[in-house]
This record gives sequence, C-alpha cells and structure tokens, in this order.
Amino acid sequence: MGKALVIRDMPLKRLLTIKSVTVILLIAPVLVFIIIFYFMPVFLTFAMAFTDMDYRFQWNFVGFVNFQRMIRDPLITKILFNTLFYVFTTLLCFNVGYGLLLAILTSLIPPRVGNVFRLLWLLPRLTPPVVYYLLWLGITSPYPYGLINFFLVDILGLEQYKDVYWIYAAPWAVVILANGFVGASFGMLIIGSAIKSIPIDVIRAAKVDGASLFRLIKDIMLPILKWPILFVTAYQTLSLLTSFEYILLLTDGGPGFYTTEVWALHVYHKALSAFGGWEFGYGAALSLVLVVLGLALSILYFKIFRFRELIFEPKVEVT
Amino acid sequence: MATQKATMMYAVLLIIGLIIGVAIGYAIKPAPPAAAPTTVTQTVTSTSVITKTVTAAAGPQEIVIRAMTVGPDEPSYNRFENLKRAAELLNKMLADAGIPVTVKVEGEFWTGSWEDYKNKLLMMFQAGEAPDIILSGHEDIAPWAEAGYILPLDDFIAKYKGLWFFDDMIPSLWDSVKYKGKIWGIPQDTEARPLYFRKDLLKDMGWSDEDIEEFKKKAWNGEITLWDLLEICKEAIDKGVIEEGYCIWHRPKRGVDYYQIYLAFGGILQDPETGKLVLDKKAMLNMMKWLHDAVHKYKALRSDMIGLDWKIIHENWVAGKLLFWFGGTWQKAEWIKKYNMPEEEFWANIDFIPVPPGEKGGKPVTLSHPLVYMVSSQSKHPDLAFLIVALATNPLYNAIHAVESGHLAIMYSELSAKKYQEDKWLAVSASLLEFSKFPPNHAKFGTYDEIVFKAMGGVESGELSPEDAVSYIVDQLKAQLGDEIVIKE
Repeated sequence: MGKALVIRDMPLKRLLTIKSVTVILLIAPVLVFIIIFYFMPVFLTFAMAFTDMDYRFQWNFVGFVNFQRMIRDPLITKILFNTLFYVFTTLLCFNVGYGLLLAILTSLIPPRVGNVFRLLWLLPRLTPPVVYYLLWLGITSPYPYGLINFFLVDILGLEQYKDVYWIYAAPWAVVILANGFVGASFGMLIIGSAIKSIPIDVIRAAKVDGASLFRLIKDIMLPILKWPILFVTAYQTLSLLTSFEYILLLTDGGPGFYTTEVWALHVYHKALSAFGGWEFGYGAALSLVLVVLGLALSILYFKIFRFRELIFEPKVEVT
Repeated sequence: MATQKATMMYAVLLIIGLIIGVAIGYAIKPAPPAAAPTTVTQTVTSTSVITKTVTAAAGPQEIVIRAMTVGPDEPSYNRFENLKRAAELLNKMLADAGIPVTVKVEGEFWTGSWEDYKNKLLMMFQAGEAPDIILSGHEDIAPWAEAGYILPLDDFIAKYKGLWFFDDMIPSLWDSVKYKGKIWGIPQDTEARPLYFRKDLLKDMGWSDEDIEEFKKKAWNGEITLWDLLEICKEAIDKGVIEEGYCIWHRPKRGVDYYQIYLAFGGILQDPETGKLVLDKKAMLNMMKWLHDAVHKYKALRSDMIGLDWKIIHENWVAGKLLFWFGGTWQKAEWIKKYNMPEEEFWANIDFIPVPPGEKGGKPVTLSHPLVYMVSSQSKHPDLAFLIVALATNPLYNAIHAVESGHLAIMYSELSAKKYQEDKWLAVSASLLEFSKFPPNHAKFGTYDEIVFKAMGGVESGELSPEDAVSYIVDQLKAQLGDEIVIKE
C-alpha cells in the first residue's frame, strides 16, 4: 500500500497551485459552455434592450426609449396582471400545491404502486409540446371532434355544449390545466425524494405518540420539507414566468383581446414573430423586466421561507 | 501522491481530448476543389505583352443553386418543381452547346406555417447561409430590400427585354414587386379571394335557381352589400338551415384576407405617392361594426372565430354547414385533394362572388397576394439564379402550377395555354382579377397587421366595442409606426 498524500506537509503555495489548476482544468469545459450559452446571451440581451434592433440586426443605441414605450403601452398593465395570475394560480394549484399532494400520496401507498402513478404523472412532461397541444386540441374541440363534448353530448345528453370550443370558452382553465399537468410532476419528484429521506424512526416515533395522518403530515413532514418546497416554489416561479410555449400553441395570447397574453409570450410576439416585426430591441427590454421580476420574487421567497434559518448550521450536534 | 497523479492524468487527458476534437473538426471540413492552372495571355499596354497565369476549374463543373420555396398548401409543390424543370432545361441547352457545366437546384418546399418559414429565412440571412432563390409573399420585399437581403432585378430583367415572357406579364402584377422605384421580385403566381357561398343551402332556404342567379348578378354589379349578406344569414338561421355562428366565416389566423372588408368599406392601406401606410378611421370603424354585428347581432359569425383550427373550418365547409366563406381560389384544390370533396359536388353546390362593397354604390373587391421569386444578395451566382427563375417563368410551367394548385395566370400567354384553358375553375375564377387589390409593400405592414388583427379579436369576442377598437388601433399605430402612418379621419 502506498503512502497516503499528506497535505499538511506540502507548502501552501504549491498546494493551492496544483489544486487550483486541476479544478480549473476540470470545470473549464462546463465554464466555457455556461459563459457562451448563459452569461453572454444575458449580457447581449441587456445591451440589446437599449437599441432599436430589428430584422436589420443593427446596433443602434437609443437609450431608454424602449422602456418609455413599455410604460406608455396601455396593454402592459393587462399583460402584467395576466402574468401574475397565470404564475401564481398554476403554482399554487399545481406546481407546488398539487405536486406536494402527489408526493405525499404516492409515498403513503406501496412503493410499486406509487412508482406507477409517478410515471403516469411524468408523461405530460415527457411528451413533446406540439404533440401535447394536439392532445389538448382533441380534448377541447367542438363536437364531434372533442373528447369533452363527446362525453357531454353523447354520454350525458347535454346538447347545449355541442358547439363549445373549450379553449375559447374557458381559456385560462385550459391553459392552467395544460401547464399544471406538466408542472406538477417536478414538485412531485423533488418533494417525493425529500419525503423518502425523512428518517423512518421519526415517523414511527410520531405514530407511537398517537399522531394522526393529518398531524403527521402537518407537524412532521411539512416542516422537514420546507427546503425542497422553497426550492420548488422558487424554481417553478421562474420557470412559469418564462414559459409560454403551451399558451402560444393553445390560445396564442387570445381569445379576443390579449386575454391570455403573458409577459413571456408578449416578448415572443414582439421579438421573434415574423408577423410582429422582429423587434429584437424592444423584446430584449421586455425580457429585462422579467429578469428583475424573477429576482425580486426569489428574494421575497427567501424572506418568507426564512432562508437564513434553513441554511444556518445548528449549534448542537447530535451524534 | 497516487491521487494527485491520477488527477493530473485526467486533466491532461481532457486537454488532449479537446485538442483531438478540434483537429477532427478541422480535418473533416471539405477542402476546396483543386484547379488546374491555365495560361492566359493578356495585353495590358500597347508596348508590352504580359503573360498572366490564372487558374480555372478543370473538367465538368456542377453549380448548385439553392432555393427555398413555400406552399404552405401542399398542391403548390410546383413552385419548387418548376425551378428544377428550369435547371433540367438549362442543362440540356448547355450539353447541346458542349459546355461542361451542369446546374443543380437543391432546396425545400415548405408546408409548415408562414411564420416559421419567414423566421427560418431571417435566421438564414443572418447566418450568411441564405439560399440563392427565395420564394415568398410580395409583402416581404419591403423589409428584405431595406435590410439588403435581396437584389434589385431591374438590370437582370433589362437583359432579357424583348426576349422572354417578362414582357407578357399581366401589368398590374409588376406593381406588387416594386419598392422605392425598383423591381425586387418576379411574380410566380397570383390568386384571388372569392366569397364562396353554398347553393344547396340557399335552395334549402327556398331560393330557386333564378333567385341564386339574380343574387350573383347583383353581387358582381356591386348591388349587394356586406350588410345584405348578414340579412341573408339571419334568414338562413331563422329557417333552421344553418346553426347560429355558422353562416359567414373568415380566416382564423393572421393573413391579409380580412382587409377585404376594410377595402370594401372604402379604406386604403397605402398612399400611392408617399408609400406611407394609411388608416382610414371611418372604413376601419365600419369594418369593426360589421364584424361586431355579424357576431353579436346577427349571430352569423362565431365569437371564437379567431384561433379556430383550419381543419375545423374546411371540414365544416365541405360538410355543407357554412353558407359563406371568405376563401381563396387555391382552396378548391385543397378541398378536393385533402378533404375528399368530389369535383362534381364542388360544381353542383358551391359558387362565388367578389367581396361585396360595404355600402350601396361601392365596388366589389378582392385581394390578391402574389408570391414572388427573389434573388438573395448573398448568392454567389446571382446571374445564374436569376436565369433559373426566368426559365421557370414560362406559360407551360406556370400553367402546370396554376392548374394543380388553383392559382391564377400571371402571363397573357398562360391564359391561352391548353392546360390552363382546360381547367374550368381557373377560367371562371379569373373573372375576379378585375377587382384585384394588393396588400402594401411596406417594411412595417407586419406591425400594422398585428395591431388590426388583435383589435378584430377583441371586437369579435365582445371585449372591445368597435369605437374602442379603432381608438386602440390609432393609438398603437401612432406609437409604433411614428411617421410611417397616416391617419385619415
């Protein structure tokens, strides 16, 4: 057996050099990737927000003109409200709320059965967005094309629903359901894994003390799950703020007058839509607002969930 | 020590791996073809002769011309095929002349959405990988000419003056390819947008054949108005022939068709002298009022029309559930080929009129949207690319495309081509061309259209009154178009 490396015998300068060089070399590829595909686009977007760049791709700096236009746009308030409504309703009802419920329920049933349900709930996330949209089209279309209306008209005999096109009759419901079914699986997986890591002795001790299922969940599981719930909430908030693909496919911001137009979709319509004029500069300015909003919400969550306390090292060590 | 050695070894292996990867990437990059040297004698001054050695390609040469073309309707595949036919013709000429050059046309016929097609082209322009030949709507000429993506074709066309079918083109089509005084495209086809109606449903309402003929005659003479159509819809719904919301439908997605209603109320889209975009407030208000009443008063149009899937529209039309449809001449081919409508049924039950005027005394309208071939400024062979386009622009090839896809003739000689004349539909629908107007060539028309389309959606859904819709349009146009919009009171 060879002699173990004795770090304390090495000169500090030499130790730092070898270690630093090794570390940098090993993480260099990923670092380059992150710089090129994350930091540079962020920097370019920031710079572009102060230009009037369009399909001509010219860097023509115009100062705060884009932001002034944004403030003067009478639709911005409606779009902001749509965004907050969409994010928090989907978050509470599905991504966090229903994800937590699924995680708890699938952990209470035998593991094999729980795994089957987890897999089923993962299917919307695994399905390509366009295919998923086509499924929703097939569910919500007017009779005789749509599944809902087929059930209502042919099974329940409710003829008045024959002509209803559900995407347009209840656009927010369809949008939130479609996104929520995808989002719930993320919370289910993260929180479900956290539940599995709760020491079984804690659960048994609570049961021995006579805790009901409700008390077990409320007083034992939820406090332990605070960190994963914070993570899922923050992550999914940012994810929902920037997601728009299902809304684009289902309603394209309609029906009617910007009914389901959210901020990220508005950015797409302005900057990346052939019919929107390819206003890259204005779209970048709109994107910057999303970044600021995301940062503000993250800081708020850290305060609400008392992030400092969560990461604070306990003074008492239990061995 | 062992751990440290292993770590250093992994780091070194990683660097070596990266270097090998870069080397492989460089190595598999295709090398330019080797050329044989040729000696050329060139006299530079009158007192001396300089021999200059230049290189020229040795042996047969293949030149690839790349083309991007679009349907999106599938029967329009000849827009790409005609370019290949042109290359085949050219290759036969070159072979007969003993010139060892062949031209190959490669590219794509796009059947996805217009938006994805235009986005793809923009990315290609920006990446420096634009095709040599681009087929798109004529409205793209303005932004692409402004951005320098396409070449003006005046000099190319002038080379063939008196020698080719450009002189035979229907004159009004040249207006659609002009921008700032220059020609930027060669018309590939045109179409018209009839207001289709179902004769069988009118008969179910109790109309006789004579009543239908009388209706048609009045419509062509401009004696029927858009409001009269809504009254006919009311009659049809009251008699139980059609359901509420299923009388008169328009396109559900962005496009140019709905501007026919604005034009029918006397509106104009572009100032012919200044080239600026125009909003006629009165005409737009009348358009919004008509749409509002069509949905909410006459129940002739669905409130969720905008956003409906195309499939639902075509299937309802083919099934005989709609009375009027603001369609296009190319849709006959779609109904027959894609939606299995028998040709006999089309002729027996469907007819068309131009879009009636908004008010009595007006003229019927139709909108034509020519698609045009353009030559990219990034093309390495612009003359050859133009030659392919020119050879593809002949009565025979255009007639093949027109007949198979339901588009209209662009040349007078095409009108008399045997294949064209044999097609009853094209002969009949060409009568719409006398009422033809075109969408404007302006770089900001996309923005104009987005604003109007959103307002339409608001009016039809009931969220906006017609007056609020016009206010919104005026405010947004002023804010986003600045000097490029003229608001006419």
